[in-house]
Amino acid sequence: MKRKREGFGLLEIVALAVVTLTTMVLCVCVGSVSLPLGQTVRILWNALWGLPIVDGASAAILLTVRLPRVLCVALSGAALSVSGAAMQGLLRNPLADGSTLGVSSGASLGAVIAIAFGVTFPGLPFAGTMLMAISFGFLSLMVILSLAYKLDGSLSTNTIILVGVIWSMFISSIISLIVTFRSDKVRSITFWNMGSLQGSDYANALTLLGALLVFGTVIGCLSRELNAFAIGEENARAVGVNVRRVKLLLLVCVSALVGVCVSIGGSIGFVGLVTPHMVRLLVGPNHKKLLLASLFGGAIFLMLADLVARVLLNPVELPIGVVTSLIGAVAFILIFYRSRKGDAHA
Amino acid sequence: MNLRKNFLVLVAFTLLAILPTGCGLAEGSGVTVTDMMGRTVTLDAPATRVVALTAADCEILYAIGAGNTLVGRGEYCDYPASVLDVPAVQSGSETNLEQIIALQPQLVLMDTMAQSESQVNQLEASGIRVAVSEGTDIEGVYTTITTIGTLTGKNAEAAVLVESMQKSFADLAQNAQGGGKSVYFEVSPLQYGLWTAGKGTFMDEIAAMLGLTNCFADVDGWAQISEEQVLSRNPDYIVTISMYSGEGLTPVDEILTRKGWQDVTAVKNAAILDAPNYELVRPGPRLVDGAKMLNDLITNGR
Repeated sequence: MKRKREGFGLLEIVALAVVTLTTMVLCVCVGSVSLPLGQTVRILWNALWGLPIVDGASAAILLTVRLPRVLCVALSGAALSVSGAAMQGLLRNPLADGSTLGVSSGASLGAVIAIAFGVTFPGLPFAGTMLMAISFGFLSLMVILSLAYKLDGSLSTNTIILVGVIWSMFISSIISLIVTFRSDKVRSITFWNMGSLQGSDYANALTLLGALLVFGTVIGCLSRELNAFAIGEENARAVGVNVRRVKLLLLVCVSALVGVCVSIGGSIGFVGLVTPHMVRLLVGPNHKKLLLASLFGGAIFLMLADLVARVLLNPVELPIGVVTSLIGAVAFILIFYRSRKGDAHA
Repeated sequence: MNLRKNFLVLVAFTLLAILPTGCGLAEGSGVTVTDMMGRTVTLDAPATRVVALTAADCEILYAIGAGNTLVGRGEYCDYPASVLDVPAVQSGSETNLEQIIALQPQLVLMDTMAQSESQVNQLEASGIRVAVSEGTDIEGVYTTITTIGTLTGKNAEAAVLVESMQKSFADLAQNAQGGGKSVYFEVSPLQYGLWTAGKGTFMDEIAAMLGLTNCFADVDGWAQISEEQVLSRNPDYIVTISMYSGEGLTPVDEILTRKGWQDVTAVKNAAILDAPNYELVRPGPRLVDGAKMLNDLITNGR
């Protein structure tokens, strides 16, 4: 039996972390404004040890603009990718992801409502948007899944995609409706809806890190159950998985991760869909490996996409969603094509 | 340019020649203009019932004393305050032809953005004349004013307005204090991604007039730009056109307290201007106000 080791060994984890850190260093060193490598290292070194920094504008660019943004991008990518991997495993559906399942659009609706009607919590100006995004993301997921269950008990790809698309259209029409009624806030909503990781700060990064630590760990602890689900819900029940509880827990975690990401960076499509597939090709379908590899893979993918967005048309900046969707749409079609071909053979 | 002036003189002469003799004859008081899409627009008489979809055209109508001809306005028209008493119709991509036709205008003023040719054709088919304006530079604004003046029988008033704008801008340009210093125009705040106004915008044109250089003159039109670039280009002045939402920091205070921006010259000197009422954006007579506000910033420091 190869029960000996299902997850990664220490060496493999170190290797993943090194690749991720290398990407991060690359993304911090390269940017819209080119800073000499020596200066970059000096600023980072001095900042790390609390030494005085004399580089003025360069330090500001590096420490208050670039570094927090790269951190937020890496953490968002990791969170979205883990959520995607978990949903794909849970629903046994290769096209499941925050954006196809309408979680992102639901979260967007929550955030738009928070902006339009001024839902805030005293002392925590950003928490209103975030909590609304999380709860609407969760509600969307529940609505879509129960609708899909009603239509087709096996939760087949086609049903879920169909319901997800219709739900997303429904949500976007509601968003348009709110925008029409609250035209005074319209500018803020439109700009927000486009999503931007510009202006990310360390507080955002810390929030993302916290969410990832809590909900990512929960998802990680459920990798055995996810493996059981991957074979089938009946099988999961047979090997003693509390199907209802695990499912609910996973849905809550996914909604929370996607909700936090959406409220910080707007909705970024395709990361959660595509990276788990790329990663699966490399490490196989076992969730004990897949989840961790998706975490690092998502961070790397989104950091590189953001790098392209930042420097390709310098000084103009592309919305990150354009880059991820361009790559993602092509990958999406390939996956869909392959899975349909697989169906035909089966 | 000469061609148009000659043409207007010709129109004026024709009117002068016909009016005294042909009193009472409808076709005698007809007006013809070429709109900014090159279409010929002919009215039997200066329009007395006008629907204007863009805020700029509304402002022009009021500025030349033709505000009373307005029977409908686009929903985003907000200046002067009295325009709000005029019935609103949907505009832009939501333009609703039925609403417009129901107001029975003789003339509809539209801009090229988000208006389709089929909409123009449908309105024309229901007997309503359409004039399309497109103000992309100050010269274009003068053309629009002159055209609207002709269409509403306010030629003299339009000429006076254009002349006064020309004089104001000439005065500002003559006493330009910019000295080649740099200005960064902020269209949207950091939270939503920084957008700026580059080459080919009114902001860029007015900056050049005042002797300033636009930090992002290498960018075309409005574009989302990198925050790093703003810090690195270190502008001497910042102009934001963000509207104050009424809660939290004002747009100027928000820029002053941005992390990492404390060493930017404009932030250090608090040389930041908020122009939230479209003074620097809308292709209308208030561009003069916007230019004066910017001039005040560079001459008085604030």
